[in-house]
Amino acid sequence: MTLFGRRNVLMVLALTAAIAPSFVNDYYLFVANTILIYVLLSIGLNILLGYTGQLAFANAAMFGIGAYATGLLQVRVGWPFWLAFPSGALIATAVGLAISLPALRLRGLYLAVSTLAFAQFTQWVFLNWESVTYGAGGFKTPPISFAPLPVSKQAGLYYLTLILVVVLYVLAQNAVRSRIGRAFIAVRDSEIAAQSLGVDLLRYKALAFGISGFYAGVAGGLYSALLNFVSPEGYDLFQMVLQKAMVVVGGLGSIVGSLLGAGAIITALEALRTVKGLQEIAFGAILLGFILFMPNGIIGALKAKVRGWEEPVHRSRRRNSPPGPAAVTTPRSEVRP
Amino acid sequence: MILLTYLLLSGLTTGSLYALIALGIVVVNKSTGVINFAHGELFMFSGLLAWTLHVQLGVSYLPSLAIAVVLGFALGVATNLIAFRPIKNADVVSLVLATIGLAFVVRGAARVIWGGKGDYLSFPPITSPDPISFGEIMVIPQQIAVLAGAIVIMLVFAAFFRLTRAGKMMQAAADNAKASKLVGIRVDRIYMLSFGTGAAIAAAAAVLMAPLTLLYPDMGFSFFIKGFAAAVLGGLTSLPGAVLGGFCIGVIEALAGGYINSSFMEVSAFIVIMFVLVVRPTGLLGLKGMRRI
Repeated sequence: MTLFGRRNVLMVLALTAAIAPSFVNDYYLFVANTILIYVLLSIGLNILLGYTGQLAFANAAMFGIGAYATGLLQVRVGWPFWLAFPSGALIATAVGLAISLPALRLRGLYLAVSTLAFAQFTQWVFLNWESVTYGAGGFKTPPISFAPLPVSKQAGLYYLTLILVVVLYVLAQNAVRSRIGRAFIAVRDSEIAAQSLGVDLLRYKALAFGISGFYAGVAGGLYSALLNFVSPEGYDLFQMVLQKAMVVVGGLGSIVGSLLGAGAIITALEALRTVKGLQEIAFGAILLGFILFMPNGIIGALKAKVRGWEEPVHRSRRRNSPPGPAAVTTPRSEVRP
Repeated sequence: MILLTYLLLSGLTTGSLYALIALGIVVVNKSTGVINFAHGELFMFSGLLAWTLHVQLGVSYLPSLAIAVVLGFALGVATNLIAFRPIKNADVVSLVLATIGLAFVVRGAARVIWGGKGDYLSFPPITSPDPISFGEIMVIPQQIAVLAGAIVIMLVFAAFFRLTRAGKMMQAAADNAKASKLVGIRVDRIYMLSFGTGAAIAAAAAVLMAPLTLLYPDMGFSFFIKGFAAAVLGGLTSLPGAVLGGFCIGVIEALAGGYINSSFMEVSAFIVIMFVLVVRPTGLLGLKGMRRI
């Protein structure tokens, strides 16, 4: 155990996060809360994209579904947040499972187009089903209160998010180290090999979609409470590229990487808030640059440079069409015959 | 009946544009095995370049088209050099994410150059705007021009692919990259040529379409996803399939918009795609039983 090892750094981060609300102003608390919400999103997406290798584009839509379900259950049905929020997360999970059904028959680029179509369809429903979703203008959600507890709304929501992040982070970290995580990686590296080892493709793909849907749904519910407002444009394609950038910047196939990636990207987003015109260029370039020059992300660099971070990065080394199983372990610099 | 012919004609017109975009996507996918997610952005960027040439600099229509096609080819080559060649042995996820990153850079650049959200640039029509009537059927000349232009581009491309040496090398590389390397084809160049050709077709489509609608930085993605849908409908590796898929998507969209509700126009294509992929995951003309392991 070294001084700057993973466990120590995470402990310090968690402690800082826990005492932060007493020291920072409302704006920084808001940013910190946003980061925590995006940590959830990026862990969920990483399980689907980085571990299971499913090229899915529906995460922003699932985030939106979580936010809309939580908000609409409060506004239209009159449920309190405490009931609407878990229900919203469950609805997003159910949708995640439902879209995994076609995914079981589809692979790679076909999966990409069907999930993209699903994301566009969701966006269209948010915009056009005005009698339920209030259309393009969005709607305000009722302010939540933590009445019996002696905390303000901001601090209360922040702690709620922090607790959920810690719990779901530990859960994800344990899941990917268990039989489930190994099955995900096997599915990513070769579906046929995974099947021949007795991995039930149907079950594990559905599980990966369900997990990512659940994480996105939880994040969506918290996000709607944080903003007190839900509108379609928060869940569009830019949202998708933001989440993809987080996963890549942090490191594909690393849960702790998702944590770092979300922090880095949201900090950059806030720093670039004044130059909105350059945001697309900046995040596109970050995504492209990391893929080209740092394919293992921040976590890859940490692993190489700092002692105590030697968690295996479960990143795919698969080529387009490897000649055989041996190619999986061949270093990428070698020239293909 | 009049409504039906009108809808069919406008569906075929937009469908021909989707078909051209799908062709570009399939050409790249056939040889490299990836989808260029920046394809729609290249389409948009070339269209806006043509707008600058035609409207701001006063170059007449056909030369603008030609220059835009050349610039589109160059953009495609640049895409290949930036986002594909350095990582060509990486997994599909990385390759796709790299082109997505590039797409956002191109879109952001277009916003900086040609205006931010909500700026729509209009391209003057090249034919007279008055409709011609054949009996009861009214036809807008611009639509006929687009349809004819698209068919000419498809034929030119088919001839290039079937008859020229470069086209045959592209076919060979798509068929078996390793074997074509052995017979002396420089596969990297073929990849570059595929990206260039795909983008050049997209540029031609953009300039053809420009007089019919407005140009704006966000149009790239919506056309890309329709073209992608068309390519998938046709099986992703089949050139005739891409054309067929494009026309199908265009006509379905127009009919859904005309007979159900105009807001269904945007979304009908996606519903069709989700349905087709569940029933027939390899598309209409895709190869059955082929699996890349």
